[in-house]
Amino acid sequence: MRRPRLRIPDDWRSRSFWIESGQAYLYLLPALAILGVFTFYPFFSAFRLSLFKWSVVHPPGTFVGLRNYTTIFADRHFWSAVWNTFYYVGVSVPVTLFLALLVANLLNKPLKFRAFARTSFFLAYITPLVAVAMVWSWMYNWHYGLFNYILGLFGGSLVNWLMDPKLSMLTVIILSVWRFVGYQAIILLAGLQNIDKMYYDSAKVDGATGFRVWWHVTIPLLTPQIFFVFIISMIGSFKVFTEIYVLFTGTPGPLRSAETLVYYILRKGRFDGTQLGIAAAASVFLFAVIFGFTIVQLLVTQRKVHYQ
Amino acid sequence: MLRKVILVGLIGAMLAGLVAVAQEPVTIQFWHSMSSGHQPHLVALVEKFMEENPYITVELTYQGNYGDTEDKVNASVVAGAPPTIVQLYENVITPIVEVLYPIGPHMTDAEKADILDGLVPNNTFDGVLVSVPWNKSIMVLYYRSDLIDTPPTTWEEFAQMAADLTVDLDGDGVIDQYGTGLRPYNPEMYLNYVVQNGGSILNEDWTAVTIGETEGVEAMQYAESLVPYSYISPGYLSDALGAGQVAMFIDTSAGYYYNNKAAVDNGYTMGVARVPVGPVNGKSAIQGTNLVVFDLGQTQAQKDAAVLLARFLIRADNTIYWSLRGGYLPVVKSAYTDPAWLDYLADHPEAVVNSEAMVDGFAQILHPNYGQMRSAIGSAFEEVLLVAATAEQAVANLVTELEALLSY
Repeated sequence: MRRPRLRIPDDWRSRSFWIESGQAYLYLLPALAILGVFTFYPFFSAFRLSLFKWSVVHPPGTFVGLRNYTTIFADRHFWSAVWNTFYYVGVSVPVTLFLALLVANLLNKPLKFRAFARTSFFLAYITPLVAVAMVWSWMYNWHYGLFNYILGLFGGSLVNWLMDPKLSMLTVIILSVWRFVGYQAIILLAGLQNIDKMYYDSAKVDGATGFRVWWHVTIPLLTPQIFFVFIISMIGSFKVFTEIYVLFTGTPGPLRSAETLVYYILRKGRFDGTQLGIAAAASVFLFAVIFGFTIVQLLVTQRKVHYQ
Repeated sequence: MLRKVILVGLIGAMLAGLVAVAQEPVTIQFWHSMSSGHQPHLVALVEKFMEENPYITVELTYQGNYGDTEDKVNASVVAGAPPTIVQLYENVITPIVEVLYPIGPHMTDAEKADILDGLVPNNTFDGVLVSVPWNKSIMVLYYRSDLIDTPPTTWEEFAQMAADLTVDLDGDGVIDQYGTGLRPYNPEMYLNYVVQNGGSILNEDWTAVTIGETEGVEAMQYAESLVPYSYISPGYLSDALGAGQVAMFIDTSAGYYYNNKAAVDNGYTMGVARVPVGPVNGKSAIQGTNLVVFDLGQTQAQKDAAVLLARFLIRADNTIYWSLRGGYLPVVKSAYTDPAWLDYLADHPEAVVNSEAMVDGFAQILHPNYGQMRSAIGSAFEEVLLVAATAEQAVANLVTELEALLSY
């Protein structure tokens, strides 16, 4: 497919062009104003703030250059948060996507109670996250939790899900996968239903069946949706916070084992408010990571996306 | 004669003017963090204040928990529109001292002398009493009196008793009852041990970290020695107490109601005692906030009214009222000899313990980065309780972090 290119309209000299464009911008103005105040201004402020030692009384405080960055790079808890974040993203994103693909395929088949199944899977996503995390914290409870009860039925020993530092991120990942599989499956399902049947008919004529049809026909034609889901899933995963905050009752897990970058930013930005500059530096770092990953994804996967 | 008449007339007019000015209606904003359990009592106190001072209107606004209130106060200072009076922890006060209206210079000498000695230093900045203590609690020892006749009074007795009371009741190889309980990420538990061993977090002029010296390491080693006999709980220990999983533990006096209820509901009896004495002293950590008045856009009348409110709230009768209903402890000496408080003590022996401990407590330091320091201390304590580091390693890591915070 040829990529769209930017071109200047031929009628840019005409008065009507400018009147129509002006009208369009007028309609966009309210949204732009809100975005400007609540998104663009804080976004650029964070870059500026990251170069200052914050003062509540005399904001933004003292200019310290890159000192906030050297401070976070020398902090072992920062690198621990970076590792936890990458661990979470590296496991939850592909696992959720894979399961969502399987679920979407199942939901695409002419099953009985298909509508009920679709609703059930999507319910996990639309249920408020705080309520979900609270219930899951009880399911993970060492003595009274559902998971340990099931383990006990099979003769397993009790697992201290929420107090074992080695299991902290895993508990968050399991919750997250459960929550997002339905949402991603619905998007992939829409893509599946959009695939023209003629491709399957052609494959049938050529003698392809089962897995080969799925791999050589379905997946390539589903790449736009897979690509979209992958990008938003990855961006969202880098910002994981609420699940951790509720699951571990306001702490970043035992021994800070579930502390991610966003949680680290919160800890630095709170308490006495003297380290907002450091929190801003960590925010800029997070932005750079997400931006870098997104660019790489766009460059690497765009060639593999097939638009019908 | 005429001159005298004119002079008297002028003085009379001036006094009348002053009275008129003093009585001009004024409205002040009081931001607080007292949620549903405490709020009605605070409302009652404020209404009483407004009855005594009819020209003052106090707008009480609940701002959420302490962390939320602190965030909002900081944001309001940046915006140049803070409330008139608010309750804050010491470390939040330090960075904003220059926009505060000191309360001390507007108190009588008797009022200032009446504040508990242990609460004065952490409300004093550059020799001036800027804030006043308000809702304070102290760390005490809770113990099951059906298991323990005489509570431990020293570190050694506590450790021995904890070991003796750690038992496998049904012989299945799993400990059912621990001698004591510890809460990871509860820095005050460790700080109790540091101070009782004669140590401190920083030196007096905040130029060096001292918690890594012998006293601080020994304090952490003592905590480490308790781990095998401790129920490690991420939350409050009242649940473990009620479930029979812990025989005694050290925690805030403000938790008395919940701990006692947990014990009584499960058929146990609970006692309260002073925390065991360490090698140097038996001091205990004082927690809770202080009242500050802002001087950032407020009128003089508003500042004066807010100072009046602060002095009212720490007055003996009112601090007793607040303590009896809020689970806190009076912040002035005269309250502890007041008949109302003495009557309460006669019916509530646990309050005797709390009172004695309060007079001998220690408060948090005023360093502007103390919030972050406290977080680091909690993490180090947690590492030891969860056996992720030895006491020496945890303290060494802590010193590195505190030195970074000190130099920032």
